[in-house]
Amino acid sequence: MAFPAPGNISVMTRSMAWAVVCFLVLPISIVFAVSLTDQPYLSLPHDGLSLQYYRGLLTSRAWLTSIWHSLVIAIASTAIAVTAGTLCAIGCWRINSRASDAVRVLMLIPIIVPTIVYALGIYQLWVDLKLIGSFAGVIIAHAVTGLPYVVITVSTALAGFDPKLEQASQSLGASMIQTLRLVIVPNILPGIISGAIFAFIHSWDEVVIVLFIAGRSVFTLPQRIWDGINESLDPTIAAVAAVLILTTVSLLFIDIAIRQRRSQ
Amino acid sequence: MTDRKTALDKTALVISRRKLLAGAALIAAPALLRTDLALAETRKDVVLVNFGGAAMKAFDEAYVQPFAAQGGRIVLDGSGALNGKILTMVQSGNVTWDICDGGITTLAELNPRNALEKIDYGIVDKTKVPAEFAYENGVVNYMFSSVMAWDTAKVKDTPTLADFFDLKKYPGRRMMRKDSQAMMELCLIADGVPLDKLYPLDTKRAFEKMATIKKELLYWNSGAESQSLMRDGECVMGLLWHTRANVLKAETKGRIAYSFKDGLLQPGLWVVPKGNPAGAEAFRAIASMQQPEGQVKLLAAMGNGPANPAAQSLVPADLRQTNPGDPANVAVQAKINAAWYIENHSKTFQAYLDFISS
Amino acid sequence: MRALLSRIASTETSPATDVAGALRPPSPRRLHGAMRYWLLIMPALLLMLAFYLYPIGRVLWISVTEPKPGLDNFALLATSASIHKMLVTTARISILTTVITLVLAYLVAYTLVHSGERGKRWMLLGVIVPLWISVLVRAFAWFILLRREGLINNVLIASGIIDSPLSLIWNETGVVIGMVHYMLPFGILPIYANMNDIDQRCVAAARGLGATRGAAFRKVFLPLSMPGVIGAGILVFVFSLGFFVTPALLGGGKTLMIAEYIKVQILEIVRWGVGTMLAATLLVVIGLLLAILGRIIDLRKLFGSV
Repeated sequence: MAFPAPGNISVMTRSMAWAVVCFLVLPISIVFAVSLTDQPYLSLPHDGLSLQYYRGLLTSRAWLTSIWHSLVIAIASTAIAVTAGTLCAIGCWRINSRASDAVRVLMLIPIIVPTIVYALGIYQLWVDLKLIGSFAGVIIAHAVTGLPYVVITVSTALAGFDPKLEQASQSLGASMIQTLRLVIVPNILPGIISGAIFAFIHSWDEVVIVLFIAGRSVFTLPQRIWDGINESLDPTIAAVAAVLILTTVSLLFIDIAIRQRRSQ
Repeated sequence: MTDRKTALDKTALVISRRKLLAGAALIAAPALLRTDLALAETRKDVVLVNFGGAAMKAFDEAYVQPFAAQGGRIVLDGSGALNGKILTMVQSGNVTWDICDGGITTLAELNPRNALEKIDYGIVDKTKVPAEFAYENGVVNYMFSSVMAWDTAKVKDTPTLADFFDLKKYPGRRMMRKDSQAMMELCLIADGVPLDKLYPLDTKRAFEKMATIKKELLYWNSGAESQSLMRDGECVMGLLWHTRANVLKAETKGRIAYSFKDGLLQPGLWVVPKGNPAGAEAFRAIASMQQPEGQVKLLAAMGNGPANPAAQSLVPADLRQTNPGDPANVAVQAKINAAWYIENHSKTFQAYLDFISS
Repeated sequence: MRALLSRIASTETSPATDVAGALRPPSPRRLHGAMRYWLLIMPALLLMLAFYLYPIGRVLWISVTEPKPGLDNFALLATSASIHKMLVTTARISILTTVITLVLAYLVAYTLVHSGERGKRWMLLGVIVPLWISVLVRAFAWFILLRREGLINNVLIASGIIDSPLSLIWNETGVVIGMVHYMLPFGILPIYANMNDIDQRCVAAARGLGATRGAAFRKVFLPLSMPGVIGAGILVFVFSLGFFVTPALLGGGKTLMIAEYIKVQILEIVRWGVGTMLAATLLVVIGLLLAILGRIIDLRKLFGSV
């Protein structure tokens, strides 16, 4: 797994790649600028900078409640999706038959079907089961639609995992659960984590399904944003995005710092 | 097969439950009338669904509180009562909404599918609404208009609706709504069709009119988007809701102007999904919301025009010119015709989307 | 740890132990083993069946029952000009988005695997952070950047590169820009994951045998990275087909793709038969695409089979 020295590709390739990354973060810079606007609607600051929308966000019950709702739903649905999805990917990988291939393809269906169609389907089902407007309803819907991300990333990670390791573990007398816990999971952890991140983000950003099945008692962040955008282009939306980005980036940095301290 | 059967069973169940309730209400009626207290104890919550946003607070002050003062209870739900959602609920027999904030197109799509309760005009007072907007399955709750606005920095003088289609006189981009409702009418008015002779709509002629400026047209989805396109100078003229035009005018200190002239007056409608949980209590809530005071509050808060003609005299002078239902404004506008929409809405809307995306 | 285990593994599969294995009564234990692994699959499978396939099945069933039983809705595929046009638009935009995304994603992934720890960390940060901005917020960021009097046009005009503003938004250009931006992380991450597993010694060996840098890339690295590219391509293309918010917000109302078309049918004009027929068609088309691709490359490799 030794990589060549960083300088081994042309400056041209490298700078084009960084240009693409700049394109990726460009809207983020805009979001930060807009969050400091002094105008009453989403726009760049006009006469000066203002922190009013951050103040508004931190004192607004509605926004904070929505962030809380989204957090609860995203964590719960990610936990379900990651557990079920990882086990499923490992099972399919281990069985490796036509039937298990079919299962894997089945698991991809949620990203193939336009969400709007599923939204109608789950709306029908939740109306029947009286789960409209409940946390359970939204969590299940997000968990199921988050499954494909986990199955894909974990399967990809398993593709690079040597099955002999697993056989070795079992021949050394480890039970299936021990093998899972001590051999397979640690080796595919990066895949599981990226699956979890995707599943979390999927739930965190999902608006089409919640617009159908959420109700009076559940009001997620994307719903609040959707509300704000349809209503008045409230710059609080930008402040929320900015806070989220800052949180993510600080979490990543904390993670890096902890790792560095450990390795020292 | 089993699905259909259970659906039938459910409908039967709902019907019998409703009958039972109606019977119970009849028996209990004299007792209920005795004291307000007893009434409050047995009255059901009425779930009112609108599209959220600022309407939540405004509806609370204008409608929920007055009804509470009368011993009733309205619960607001901002999740948006789109046609497809209402129909799903009705078909499953598990309706949780009582009153939906809809429009002509709700009526047009759901009435033929038998998904709406008849408005009980024994409870809802027909004399408190303009007769033309009191339909069998829906009754006006407020009025709004589709009007033309323009950017005075780029459009000199006061343009007419015909000028909207005149790229030589006023070059620049225009915007329309991504929905055929009202846009077809305004095209025809601009083309010279008299306000009272619009229906049945000559959609072919309307599309031909649109085609003349198609390369300069943008289409907005949400009210906020229409505001931002005008405010940021992306469009020099636009057809939009009067409520948004009003906000724009204030926000830009008059740079964006608008006129009710040659606009289209439309009703926002209360509709009641078939098999609603609160039964007749929904109509009592609607009747309560007919009080002019609340409607004037809604006008002040959101610009929605009062539906009750008696409210017009209560409107403060400075708000009159922004009220789409004000007699002076009604006189220069056309009025939407629901019957035509029930027949033609889905195909016209589809044709419109096809037209703008080609 | 891993190295140790692989060493054990290699002794395990030595002929001697294989013989020993053959001597054991194999079938009951193995059956039991397979059954146990099916247990692992069960939670996900049950979730999927009960809360995804069942409701979707109910919805798709509508396509052959509404407004009356039969295949009338599917006949529209052949007869409706409106549907034809929408399908062509959907295919055009999805293909364009996929191609552009793959090229850019490959570039970034390639640079990533050839970067030092520090550069890699920053670059990955730049790739992952945009995932946290809601599509809705992004759409409005693009609006501020791309509109006629927006930042990009202003900068270009001020620097004298162009005279009149470019039409970057309210058309297909805007839609593709917004969609490529959304899809890039989903393109970069799988390609990068795959490239990470490529043994760089192969490229080094090719160089050692006298291949130029370009030839070593084309003949060795590129083919080895193809599974990642194809996986990412499928993901991005399939996502693009069902995309809804970005085309609706950045297309100026003029770009009508299948997801929005279905939404209108289902929520607004309540022609459920037509909307669900299109959804069913989309599923079939994607299924066929995957099947065809499966003949060209070994799809199972993508999903971790060996």
